[in-house]
Amino acid sequence: MIEVKGASKQFGTVTAVRDLTFRVEEGEVYGLLGENGAGKTTTMRMMATILTPTAGDIEISGFSVREQPLEVRRRIGILFGGEVGLYSRLTARENIAYFGNLYGLTSSRVQERIDNLSRMLDMEAFIDRRVGAFSRGMKQKVAIARTLVHDPDVILLDEPTTGLDVTAATIFRRMVTRLQEEGKTILFSSHNMGEISKLCKRIALMHKGKLRFSGDLAALRKQYGTDDLDDIFMAVVEGGEL
Amino acid sequence: MGWQIIWTVLKKELLDLFRDRKAWIGTFLVPLVIIPFVFFLLGNSYSNVEKEAREYVPLAIHGSSPLIDMLAKNPGVRLIESADPEQALQAGQLRAIITIPERFDEEIKAGNTAKLLVAFDSTNTKSVYARDLIKQTVEAYSKEIVAKRLQQAGMSEAAIQPIAADFQNVATEERKSGGMLAGFIPLMLVVSLASGGIAAANDLVAGEKERGTMESLLTAPIAANHILTAKLVAVMMMSMLSAIASLISVSLVFSMGPLGGGDNAAFSFAFLSPATLLVLIVVILLMAATFAGLELMLSTIAKSFKEGQTYMSAVIFLAMVPSYMLMPQSPVDIAEHYYVLPVFNGVALCKEVFYGKVDPLHALLGIGSSLVYVAITIAFASRLFRREGAGLKN
Repeated sequence: MIEVKGASKQFGTVTAVRDLTFRVEEGEVYGLLGENGAGKTTTMRMMATILTPTAGDIEISGFSVREQPLEVRRRIGILFGGEVGLYSRLTARENIAYFGNLYGLTSSRVQERIDNLSRMLDMEAFIDRRVGAFSRGMKQKVAIARTLVHDPDVILLDEPTTGLDVTAATIFRRMVTRLQEEGKTILFSSHNMGEISKLCKRIALMHKGKLRFSGDLAALRKQYGTDDLDDIFMAVVEGGEL
Repeated sequence: MGWQIIWTVLKKELLDLFRDRKAWIGTFLVPLVIIPFVFFLLGNSYSNVEKEAREYVPLAIHGSSPLIDMLAKNPGVRLIESADPEQALQAGQLRAIITIPERFDEEIKAGNTAKLLVAFDSTNTKSVYARDLIKQTVEAYSKEIVAKRLQQAGMSEAAIQPIAADFQNVATEERKSGGMLAGFIPLMLVVSLASGGIAAANDLVAGEKERGTMESLLTAPIAANHILTAKLVAVMMMSMLSAIASLISVSLVFSMGPLGGGDNAAFSFAFLSPATLLVLIVVILLMAATFAGLELMLSTIAKSFKEGQTYMSAVIFLAMVPSYMLMPQSPVDIAEHYYVLPVFNGVALCKEVFYGKVDPLHALLGIGSSLVYVAITIAFASRLFRREGAGLKN
């Protein structure tokens, strides 16, 4: 469960996120939608305790990002889009194992998790090769495995399909569905309304650091009387508060 | 748990660095290959010039005297006829022109001072060698004439040499060897301690930030200080490996190379006692820690790998200034305050170690002040590293 309670983040005179409040239920795939620079990554970074909210708080599985950052980190797995952040001189297995060890898993548990994830993500052919020469899709698989190695309850996916081709993006979405079936709580950020609608029933829509909508996607469609999600997005963004 | 995390991060950093060609080049190529290569090249070219200068000494002579026969007996001397000797001297075809005035021998016989004119080119090492050779021969010839004149006057040579000074060098063979090294090794050691960790420090923070791995690392449930400690140890290890490589390389150059011969004592590490060796190890460790802390600090401030590289050049400068300033000084001449100044203290103590005599007060001042600098540098690095957003690319 993720509970954002009036969280704000200010960098000098710039307010990146202003008074954000929404709640993601346990076992839910929740969409965080917004254009580039809307404040999605800053929000995710606050959830991951890399940044501290200037005001308000965020609770992950009941732990405050302000007061109990280590407890929060133990329960989350975060995947960034774009640069996937892997050690290119290490093999896929070494990359995943490194994080497994940092999360305090025993060596046998780490190997067991790597074997499972390697099967699930179809990585067996390249698990012992150095990641430097991998394609974008292969790297993304390794990054997913690294995010999931400690079997987190809450998974934060920040624009995870950026740079992926259609096949890789589809495989990725299938994996998200599978993780939801396992009962994981997932926050999926994207600037692509179409992608969000394929995975999420509920969304939060951000624009220029502010929350413009949070709630049921079907209700949003009904309210605007259209299924064209891009039109809805533009109407919400341009129309201000609903 | 803390140690376990530090060990996990350190193991990964070393594996990563071990596979990084850039880090190896920075740490080992410069001290192990380039330094000996430059020394051999320098030494060989010096000895080649010297050899050529000795083997072939073409001279032009105007006039005649028994002095010329004496000069011609020197190995390598060739008397050359030249249409334009001044031009030939300028062009390097002649090494010197000797002009013997008329009545040269008569003046000598008459007991006067005969003048001899020698033209040479001070910008040509070989011509300078020829001048020295002529000077020695003239001195030898003069001595013969003086001996004859004294004999004729019924006097012995002692009449013109009332004092025979005998200069004795009190430096032991070890100290001579150490003295030679004391000038050069601290410079090599400090510069390699500073440069050896640069590639690693830059890669481990600025590089990780640029590649986005630092952000992932900071989401793991571990303290930032544990990450920094592991990185500090990794950078220190690379620094020290580079310093050891430099020491080995310099030892080889001095013991085998052309620069090791001559008037210098035979090369050995006999001047090192267990106590001075201990001081040397502690100094190396503390300097490695100071440079590693400083480099990680700059790497944390840098927003990219390239920016980091620019900042790091300042560290090399910081290492070179004290080394060059103290290089020509003997430890007995180094003022006390240098033993508490950063980097200067390490260089000064290294010099004492290589001279074979470490003053306990200096060791105390140097090591004590170094500990303070290490603490300050690491505290600053840690503060910067733990700063919010320090691990983020943007």
